Parts: sequence; structure tokens; C-alpha cells
Amino acid sequence: MALLKRLIDWIDVRIGARDIAAKELTGYLLPRNINTWYSMGSILLFIFAMQVVTGILLLIYYVPDADKAFKSVTFIMNEVPFGWLIRMCHAVGSNMMVLVLLFHMISVLFMNSYKSPREMNWLTGFILFTMVQGISLTGYLLPWSQLSFWATTVATNSANAIPVVGPYLVEFLRGGKLVGPPTLGRFFALHVALIPAGIAALVGAHLFLLQRTGVSTPPFGLKDTANRWQGDGYRYESHPGGIPFFPNYALEDLRSIFIYLACFLAVVYFDPYLFFTRDSFLPANPLQTPAHIKPEWYFLANYQTLKIFPSEFIGLAVQGAGMTFLALLPFIDRTTERHPLKRPLFMICAIGGIMLWIGLSVWGHYS
Amino acid sequence: MESTGRRTFLGVCLGGLAAAVAAATTWPLYRYLAPRAVKTTAAKVEIPAKDVPEGEAKFFDFNGASAVLVRKRGGDLIALSAVCTHLGCIVQWEKDQQDFLCPCHGGHYTPEGAVTSGPPPKPLTKLPFTVANGIITIG
Repeated sequence: MALLKRLIDWIDVRIGARDIAAKELTGYLLPRNINTWYSMGSILLFIFAMQVVTGILLLIYYVPDADKAFKSVTFIMNEVPFGWLIRMCHAVGSNMMVLVLLFHMISVLFMNSYKSPREMNWLTGFILFTMVQGISLTGYLLPWSQLSFWATTVATNSANAIPVVGPYLVEFLRGGKLVGPPTLGRFFALHVALIPAGIAALVGAHLFLLQRTGVSTPPFGLKDTANRWQGDGYRYESHPGGIPFFPNYALEDLRSIFIYLACFLAVVYFDPYLFFTRDSFLPANPLQTPAHIKPEWYFLANYQTLKIFPSEFIGLAVQGAGMTFLALLPFIDRTTERHPLKRPLFMICAIGGIMLWIGLSVWGHYS
Repeated sequence: MESTGRRTFLGVCLGGLAAAVAAATTWPLYRYLAPRAVKTTAAKVEIPAKDVPEGEAKFFDFNGASAVLVRKRGGDLIALSAVCTHLGCIVQWEKDQQDFLCPCHGGHYTPEGAVTSGPPPKPLTKLPFTVANGIITIG
């Protein structure tokens, strides 16, 4: 202990570490009425770190070559000690990341935390959401299974509906007329280098914005103690008399991460193929499309929307409009009331939107 | 006093749990990363005698490492490990000089594997072999 104290003293006199800890950890006060939903961001950070670690481990044995990719994944699953565990953690983790991200967004939506002065937090979070969808889509192709191949064929083909540039865009995405070895090279580079770097940078920006603006106060629970932003100039939203981040809320975060881990490991050990279909276990065959090819669960609503509109362009335009509306929500919804029960129109739209998304996903699954 | 005892007990339990979680994470990770047993060629390697003319050397794989068979001028055969005893590079046969040169740090060996110059600390390891019906069997 004495040695540890001496080490901390040694660092402290050089960089003022205790000052940073006092300001950013023990002295960083959160609203008294903060709730568990505020832990979603920490869980997401944990999942992202897990995805990076398991991804790097998979890179040791995975071969990004159309002739060898499927065999290398089979080798990881069947031959490498605990290879199945690393791969399952990565595959299940990617689905969990989308799920927790949706919970995070829904909690921000219902607590109206996206409103002024946190427009940029919402926007960076929304871009992160699309990037997570992108990293999931590009990772989907890498095992080079029948499912990977045909799901990517369908997904890339939907860009065809964009007027004028659509056909060239599809070819550009694929690196050729059809999905093939050049597509694997492109998606591999996007999946392991470009998108993770982008996500890391945006996570940094998202946390920076959170740090500068201050944590939002939940619209319900104990009486608010916040030093509110008035819109007249920059003001950090502090919470005098609030809960210290360390150790109080850090322990809450840790508890949430352990609850997440329990759910995650339950899937990994007891139902590892929950997110897999039969076609995930067959090598890609460009000459044979399997029956009933479906995208991942989080793209089912998009898939069904494309199917119900007579023109693919209208289907894409509707989705584009929906996404743009969500991205710009804090700029559209400018009222100051944040209690969801005092906002009936908002509640109808938000619940209706979520029900529509679930309905379309279920319809897409069974169609 | 009672509260301190409870705190220590909980601390020990938590530490034990953390150690168990660390072990349960580290063991699969170690097994995943540990080098796999490599299938090497059979312990015995057969080479037709006519493949090694006088004054020349033939390199081959022996138990997962490089080895060499030399027929000296005069007809004597020698089988050696081709791994330099200095830092593990593979030696080259210099036909004109009738000796081995390690390209990494300039070590020289005689056809029998003895060090003549340079940094190698030991001679090249000799490999056992037999010759029968025109076939050289090493190992």
C-alpha cells in the first residue's frame, strides 16, 4: 500500500493526477434522480471494447480471401481451442451492441435528453448508430457463407433504386458487377479499419460533448438540482448536491455491465446460434440463391418497407426521410417541456413509431 | 470491529471472485493464442543417392526444420542440421569453397559442420543416416 501511495505521489507531482480525479471522478456530480438507463452508454463502451478485442483475436486465424474465408472460420470454430467462444462472443456481441444501442436511443428519446443544448450529442449518437449498422453489415459478409453472400447481394442491390447514380453505386460498393472476391476485400477493410476508427473517433466526440455540456437531468424522480442552461451563453450544466460519479455511479455502471454480461453469456453458452440461420453454415455459392433469404433482425423493418412499396425508389426515399427526421429531431422538436407524460402528441408519435418498427420487423420475418 | 470483519470478509470474497473471473478469461485466451502442434514430416526422410552428386548439397525438411545432405569431393556423405548455431539462420552451401556460409553474420562451417570462422559458438548438429539400395535414409 505504501508503495502504491508513493507511486501515485510520484505521478501526482508531475501531472496533478489527484486534481483530475477530484474534478472528473469524485467531484464529478450527477443528478440526484439519475436512473439505470444512464448506464446504457457505459454498457455500449464495454461492448465496443469487447468487439475490438475479440475482432483482433479473430484476425489471427481469419483469412480474407474468398477461397479461404469460410474454411478459416470453420477452422476457428472447430479446430482452434476456444475459437468457438471468441467467434460467438464477436457474433453475439454485434447483435447485442445494436440491441443496447436501441435501448440507449429509446431512453434518451423518452427522457427527452436530446433537446437543447444537447443537439450535437444526439446527432453524433445517431451517426454512431448508422456506423454500427454499417460495421454489422460489412462484418456479415466476412464468413463467406451462403447467408453472408446473398444477404450482401440483396443489401448492396437496394442502392440500385437511387436515380442516375444507383447502378454505378452498386458496382462501386461491390467492386464489380456482382458480389465477389473484390467485395470481400472492400468490406474487410471497412470492417476492421475504417469503420472502427470512425466509431472510436465519434465515441470520443460524443463523450467530449457530454463532458462539456454536462449530464442531462431525468424529467422525473427527485427534485431537480441542476444549474440549467438558459441559451444566453455557454454554461456547464452542473448538479450541486448530486451523486459523485466515482465511486457511487461507477458502481451502478459496473452492476449494469454485469447484468448485461449475464444476458450476453446466457446467449453465448445456451443459445449461441440464436442469431444464425441454416444458411450461415453453408459456404457461399454464387450460382445458387437459398430460399427465403432474410437480413439480420435489425434490418428486417427496412427489408419489409422495401417490399411493401411498389417502387423500390419510394421505399428507399421513405426510409431516408424517416432517418433524416430522426437525425434532426432535436432541431425539429424545439419545445422545452421534457416530461413525457406532459407531451401526449410526442408519446403517441414515439410509441407509434416503435410499434411500427416492431410490426414491420415481425412482418418481414414471417413474410 | 464487527463491521471491519464483515468488510474484510466481503473484500476477500470479491477478490476471490475477481481472481476466478480473471482465470476463466485468461485460460481460454491463452489456449486460443498458444502455438498449435505442427504436423512435421516423418522422422525418417528418404533421398535417392543420385540426387546428391559429388561436391554438392541437398537441402530438405527434417522434423520441421531445415537439414542438408552433402557429398564431399571424394564421395563421403554427411547429413547435418542446416540451422546456424549462432542465431538460427539457414546456412548456404558454397560449392566453389566446399564449405557452408551463414548469410546473416558470416559464420563459416566445414562440410562436416565444424566452425572455421565467424560467431557460431558450436558446430552444426550431425544427423544419423544409412544408405541401402541407392536410397539415403536420414533419421
